[in-house]
Amino acid sequence: MDKLKIADREFDSRLLVGTGKFASNELMAKAIEASGTQIVTVALRRVDIENENDDMLSVIDRDKYLLLVNTSGARDADEAVRLAKLSRAATGINWLKLEVTPDPYYLLPDPVETLKAAEILIKDGFIVLPYINADPVLAKKLEDIGTATVMPLASPIGSNRGITTKEAIEIIIEQSNVPVVIDAGLGLPSHVAEAMEMGADAVLVNTAIATAADPVAMAKAFKLAVEAGRVAKLSGPARAGDKASASSPLTGFLRGSENGQ
Amino acid sequence: MAVLKINGKENFFDGLLPATLSELLIELKVDATTVVAEVDGEIIEREKFGSFNLKEGQSIELVRFVPGG
Repeated sequence: MDKLKIADREFDSRLLVGTGKFASNELMAKAIEASGTQIVTVALRRVDIENENDDMLSVIDRDKYLLLVNTSGARDADEAVRLAKLSRAATGINWLKLEVTPDPYYLLPDPVETLKAAEILIKDGFIVLPYINADPVLAKKLEDIGTATVMPLASPIGSNRGITTKEAIEIIIEQSNVPVVIDAGLGLPSHVAEAMEMGADAVLVNTAIATAADPVAMAKAFKLAVEAGRVAKLSGPARAGDKASASSPLTGFLRGSENGQ
Repeated sequence: MAVLKINGKENFFDGLLPATLSELLIELKVDATTVVAEVDGEIIEREKFGSFNLKEGQSIELVRFVPGG
């Protein structure tokens, strides 16, 4: 498979994996391994000083996986920028999944605050991968100010509903000069295969892997689907038509005078 | 009684405050290698935890990485 290039880095895998909702850190580590991913997302939260805190990063090999910290929980640009700076101080990594989701029910990203935060963070040296609505105009504006990707949603986070924003995503893919990573709502390997066949550069999957009955096997299934979809896209898919087009020869039937023609 | 605001909540210390951020983390039983700290809005680099002196009334945020998508 051809390599994915984001900012100045190249990746063999086009599947980004989120680390939320796994039953245990051990299961998460095994699923990450099975997915073949090279980019994993994590979040930042307050330490619970009343209880013991386990260190999830201890099971993630930082030489093997790029840590992409998200700004989940941020309700406006200021909160996102604050989380970004804390993340960079902790990891030394300036890559960031920018997420500004003030709406608690659908977790839809705020386009105005996302654009505002992206501008501030890019000026401050961050490599910004913004989570956005499937909005072609916004995607273009973000690209213009220097984001490393755009990450339009397929459907609401964790909904597993697949690509409900297909037409808008097609326009984003057509117009974009930065990688398009389809994020959120991809619930089945067939959904990610569809995204890749549409021409997405990569996909991000979390809930569909983490909450499957067998997350490790499901991670493998997503890996294969991403590869299948990408190879299919590069292979130039055959045209769809209105009528049947026979795959077998239309001559030489065992019937009357037609026989042997 | 000395007080520090930690993660939005007031924490009272009998007698003396922990002298430094490192001492505070030891007292809270929080592994310093997994934590990011902000004191009164300013990020404190991990290497400076041991030399960062705490003062009465400071507001401290302690954050860490958790699973997320």
